[in-house]
Amino acid sequence: MSDLVLELEVNDRKVRRRAEPHQRLLDFLRDDLNLTGTKEGCGAGECGTCSVFVDGKLVKSCLMPAAKAQGAKIETIEGLAGNGDLTPVQKAFHKTGASQCGYCIPGMVMAATSALRENPAADIEEIKERLGGNICRCTGYSKIFEAVEIARDVIAGKAGAAALEADGAGGSYIGNNVRRLDAPSKVSGRLRYAGDMVMPGMLHMQVLRSPHAHAAIKSIDVSEAEALPGVACVVTADDVPGEDGFGVFVHDQPIMAREKVRYVGEAVAAVAADDLLTATRALSLIKVEYEELPAVFDPEEAMEAGAPVVHDYAKDNVVKHIPVRKGDVEKGFAEADLIVEQTYETQQVEHAYLEPEAGLAYVDHDDVVTVVSPSQNITHHRHMLAKIIDRPINKVRFIMSPVGGGFGGKEDMIYQGMLALAAMKTGQPVRLVFTREESIITTAKRHPARITYRMGLKNDGRITAVSFKMISDGGAYGLSTEGVMRKAAILSCGPYDIPNVQIDTYGIYTNNTPSGAFRTFGAMQAQFATESHMDICAEKLGLDPFEIRRINMMRDGAVTHTQQMLGSVSIGEVLDAAEQSSGWEAGAPTMRGPQRSDLGGEGTRPPCTLGARFRTSDKSGRQEVA
Amino acid sequence: MLTCDQYHMPTTLSEALALLRAAPEGSRLVAGATDILPWAREGRAGNVHLPAMIDLSRVGELSGYTIADGRVRLGANVVYQQFLTDDTLRRHLPCMPFCSVWFADDQIREQATLAGNVVNASPAADGTPPVLALNGEIEIAALDGETVVRRSMPVADFVKGPSRTDLQPGEIVTALTCDSLEGYGGAFEKVGQRRSLVISSVCAVACIKTDTAGEIFEDVRLALGGIGPVPVRLSDIEDMLKGQRISRELITEASAIPPARVASRSRQDYRRAVVRGFVEAAIDDALADAGAPVPAPRDREESHV
Repeated sequence: MSDLVLELEVNDRKVRRRAEPHQRLLDFLRDDLNLTGTKEGCGAGECGTCSVFVDGKLVKSCLMPAAKAQGAKIETIEGLAGNGDLTPVQKAFHKTGASQCGYCIPGMVMAATSALRENPAADIEEIKERLGGNICRCTGYSKIFEAVEIARDVIAGKAGAAALEADGAGGSYIGNNVRRLDAPSKVSGRLRYAGDMVMPGMLHMQVLRSPHAHAAIKSIDVSEAEALPGVACVVTADDVPGEDGFGVFVHDQPIMAREKVRYVGEAVAAVAADDLLTATRALSLIKVEYEELPAVFDPEEAMEAGAPVVHDYAKDNVVKHIPVRKGDVEKGFAEADLIVEQTYETQQVEHAYLEPEAGLAYVDHDDVVTVVSPSQNITHHRHMLAKIIDRPINKVRFIMSPVGGGFGGKEDMIYQGMLALAAMKTGQPVRLVFTREESIITTAKRHPARITYRMGLKNDGRITAVSFKMISDGGAYGLSTEGVMRKAAILSCGPYDIPNVQIDTYGIYTNNTPSGAFRTFGAMQAQFATESHMDICAEKLGLDPFEIRRINMMRDGAVTHTQQMLGSVSIGEVLDAAEQSSGWEAGAPTMRGPQRSDLGGEGTRPPCTLGARFRTSDKSGRQEVA
Repeated sequence: MLTCDQYHMPTTLSEALALLRAAPEGSRLVAGATDILPWAREGRAGNVHLPAMIDLSRVGELSGYTIADGRVRLGANVVYQQFLTDDTLRRHLPCMPFCSVWFADDQIREQATLAGNVVNASPAADGTPPVLALNGEIEIAALDGETVVRRSMPVADFVKGPSRTDLQPGEIVTALTCDSLEGYGGAFEKVGQRRSLVISSVCAVACIKTDTAGEIFEDVRLALGGIGPVPVRLSDIEDMLKGQRISRELITEASAIPPARVASRSRQDYRRAVVRGFVEAAIDDALADAGAPVPAPRDREESHV
């Protein structure tokens, strides 16, 4: 037991408690004082979800050893309004819809509060600068900045308190600014995400992950880890009582690696222990014997004969191939005056939601195996887990905790199974909270794609044929790959009416981190290629990029290459609006830089810079800093 | 994850030195602690266990600053935010507010110290190039028996390489002393992958004094970071400019030389392109900050291709 006794004041209350010497202020607030409005998004000072006031100065509590707060006065999100009315900043966030998933919001409210305390007259550029240490992934920041400006004006008396109230709905929710019902719980820090939840007797889980991209597991020895005092259980694939395997389409992924590992970071064993440190120590006592296998990291190499096979059921490494054919492509190319071929590549992308994955599992009084997690697909998870743990569906329950950002990245049941197994094995509640690093290493990413585009056009800009071949890196497991390939094929040619098309999308197994769902679900990759290609073709034909799109766009009643009849098509209006609001200078996209007159005009922003708070004093002519 | 057996918070220098002497091997001194916590994570140092951490932030002798005889003595506990918010420091160290505003973010600047940044000796440290430009010296204390002994040396000699300094076991950095450059204009240029909270790929600093008319370079201080194992002072460029009439041609000529000094292990071409523009921009911005007329800008996109 540590001899460190912290005496401090938190939200106007005196606190005297023993603390561990290694605890961060963040841990002390969350674990010891149960003030979970202060979140952990990265643990490295990058995201700002943990911002708190220490002696009046805003700091990141993940970068502050708790011992540093000895004798200090701490103010957390819970202390801003106490049990009273929300503060003007909180109300303004509620009003503008600044809180979406809500996970960054306590930190964002703290940063906004700090900015206005430091300079009640801060202008928008200074507000942006002062909030620079806090990240949001949902809003694009506009609503947050709008909220801070409203709060500033109300606090300064330049606007009445009514500015914080909801706009009149005007009898309809459509076209009117309506406040979110859940915003007060988010702006006040009261909403509990899975990682904020605790239960009596709760165990903490840590996961041993594969250091290899492709290796056979010869043996796993957990005896030493199990013998460590404080360890309640170790689970591996051997603990799965039913039919192992999950996935959004093909159920190719075991709860934990079975017989072999297929990517770096794959779960191999998990420990549940009385506390996090014990669980971490136990991981180092697990002995896994691997035999490395040849691995494949490029989807085109994986398609070649003789490539390493990732899954025995798919010897060709193909997760899914979606072919679509319409018209006669050869005839279409033969009619073309110009044929343009290009290859486009997009990269792997991490969702980077502010809430790292977290879950809490327990077996309730009626033997119902219950998993609480920010799953984006609880019903499907419930059905899969019932099979995996061999229980009837009425003995498996999934509770969806608030999702602190998902964007598709929380559709996969990559950790809920381990939690269920540990809860079943111990009879105790078990919680697992990912670190940011774990979240980035192990969870699904946006599919990297390589798209070979071939387009035939007449000199007047009409497209006569398209051949579109997309090879996507599905990574080690299927997850949502099949659906992503299907949607990429459906949306491949964009909103253009093309008589002859040949489309092939392939999702391929490799030993990379699995790819899965990510906002647009395959459309982004296809659209990047299509729209880039349209611009290149416009340039080659000397056409205005808007014009070539208007010549080829679908119109009301068009039939897509998947035989869907479109009653109304809005691409024409979209193009008009984009052309007008961008101040586009008509002409072929061959004019560059200084030749153009439509750059740097109204509504454009110069490259990022800092120093909005520097001013020159009117009186002395000297520099002042707000 | 960072764990330790003991976390000490001494309040006097002699107490801190005694704790350091008594601490088991592998113990660490911390000031702001903003670098050690992210370091002890997966992908960097991983799980790290330290026997003891000795936190210097409550040591009275290390806080505050004094100005005398043309030098500013910055206690080792002076944090970055002070260079922005303290009027006097801004006036005497004219490049520091600009360095500070690009350093991490408002919240980390409340914790992170300039001395800690120098001691970490990262090739990309934002704080070291300005200290070099300010002819910085570092003051160090140690125990000889029960007596506190002190030494000091130029920061240029103290920083020896990535994460390597002249600091010896048992020693604690107590202060940095810098030239007071009141009346100079300051500038700091930085590029990284985002605006806040980013480690510099390249940074450049300038402090410039002109004659009253703003036509002659009376004194010029230039330094670069992120271009090799240690930040560098550009003394030859300074000599080339000092005493000369300020002109666009001269500035352009001077900024063409430093790119050859880029010795980083990666992205050399990129850094060379940046350095040229940065030296020119730093001189321009420092002139503007000094209130001198800036010679008509040239289109840098044109001149630096």
